[in-house]
Amino acid sequence: MTDIGLTALAEDSAELRRRTRIARARKAKMLQAFKHIVLPMLTALAVLLVWEAAVDLNGIPKVILPAPSDIAERIWSIRKLLYANAISTTTEAVAGFAIATTLGIALAASLVYSSWLRAALYPNIVFFQLIPKIALAPLFIVWLGIGAESRLTFAVFISFFPVVIATITGLTNVPGDMLRLCRGLTASNWQIFWAVRFPYALPHLFSGMKIAITFAIIGVVVGEFITANKGLGYLIMFASSMAETTTILAAIAVLCAIGLTLFGFVTLAEKIVLKAYGHKAA
Amino acid sequence: MSDPRFIRVRDVAKTYVAGATEVEAVAHVAFDVAEGQFVSILGPSGCGKSTLLMMCAGLEPASDGTIEIAGRPVVGPRREFGLIFQDATLLPWKSSLENVLFPIRMMKRDPAQYRDRAEALLRQVGLGDFLHKRPSELSGGMRQRVAICRALIHDPELLMMDEPFSALDAITRDEMNEALARIWETQRKTGLFVTHSIREAVFLADRVLVMSGRPSTIALDFQVPFARPRDPALVETPEFAKICAMLKRTIEAGYARSGRSAA
Repeated sequence: MTDIGLTALAEDSAELRRRTRIARARKAKMLQAFKHIVLPMLTALAVLLVWEAAVDLNGIPKVILPAPSDIAERIWSIRKLLYANAISTTTEAVAGFAIATTLGIALAASLVYSSWLRAALYPNIVFFQLIPKIALAPLFIVWLGIGAESRLTFAVFISFFPVVIATITGLTNVPGDMLRLCRGLTASNWQIFWAVRFPYALPHLFSGMKIAITFAIIGVVVGEFITANKGLGYLIMFASSMAETTTILAAIAVLCAIGLTLFGFVTLAEKIVLKAYGHKAA
Repeated sequence: MSDPRFIRVRDVAKTYVAGATEVEAVAHVAFDVAEGQFVSILGPSGCGKSTLLMMCAGLEPASDGTIEIAGRPVVGPRREFGLIFQDATLLPWKSSLENVLFPIRMMKRDPAQYRDRAEALLRQVGLGDFLHKRPSELSGGMRQRVAICRALIHDPELLMMDEPFSALDAITRDEMNEALARIWETQRKTGLFVTHSIREAVFLADRVLVMSGRPSTIALDFQVPFARPRDPALVETPEFAKICAMLKRTIEAGYARSGRSAA
């Protein structure tokens, strides 16, 4: 064989090895995708199937535990009722979350800038975190009645603290030399806040917001339980008084979907904003 | 023309109260710096040299004594100072160019008017191809070069540097010293440069102030005899080595006097 033939052969085998490496890497990537996306979905599906089978085979009465197929059917048959109440719950949860986030950032900023205010309030805020706030829900009815104000205020009340604590941590997380640089340039506190502190606080703020959106939904549902005039929480209470287990679970399924969607929106916003600000994704 | 007492430090001291005792970090330091002079403040870690610099920058109050810069006592930070710290402290979400323009925004001036200057400075330190890159896309040395440009953007009269290269590896550090020497030779600011590297102090400065251990005072005020512009090969000459050895002995003697080991 000639030298040229040998060289061609060597090149061929190098090309072959390269292709093998690429194929192997692709396979590993697909395996990872399966492991982290498909596998958890399969687990959930398996649980639903076992549930379905267990209910059918053992003849469990629907009032104790309806099968997933019954719940799906019920969701379809009462879709208008679910829709109207879901709108109310979602609107109030989103409004509560938005107000809690705005107030939380404002309070965190004032605490970071005023050492007196911080000394007066911060230990109390931390202490307040320890109170089982759900126990206070009936008070809100006494104060604000059984309307949307009551539910909204309660949702704000319980989702506000995680935002405050996370934002304070974030705002004080700025490197000391960065603040020294700003002071050296005689920048105002207002300028330093918007140009430096707030963007630095974003990763913390978003982790607070992710807790807050979950808490806001809890707050609204608890509010609906006790104000008993509107929303999915009200529907659940009402159905339970009639022993309509299937309707309860239908409403819970819709609540899960709402919770997942709202959390998904906050996570998506987090991804976009943190990427724009060059923070490492949390 | 140039003011021989552009910086005037008189009997400056810094004491911290720790419990019932007072810790004297800097004890009665006095020196002058002429306009356009580059002075290194050299001393071991924790000797109070950074505290001294922060007092000159108006970012730390002095416990005693007076500091005057450009004929006015320093009572707080001033815009005619440019600061460089140990870490580059760039905003992670801004490009090199935007980071260099950051002081302009903080001073509420029009960034558009300084854009050309910012680009020119970045080109001068070899970052012409990295104007629109973010800090995460730059090496440690490149980031610190951006920080140097940021300190110079508003054309400050006095550049204060607090161990700016001590977080970098030895090779990058030599590169940075050359970059700083080159840019300083074109800009000719008055410079205060705090470092614990003897080589760096001598290579960059017209004058080296050696600080002793705590409570620190100035143990030696040394005029560096080398002409400018300085060649990187200067550090390999016997004269350079001799001066470094002498300064090292001075630092060790200063430490022995303060009752601590130089190790």
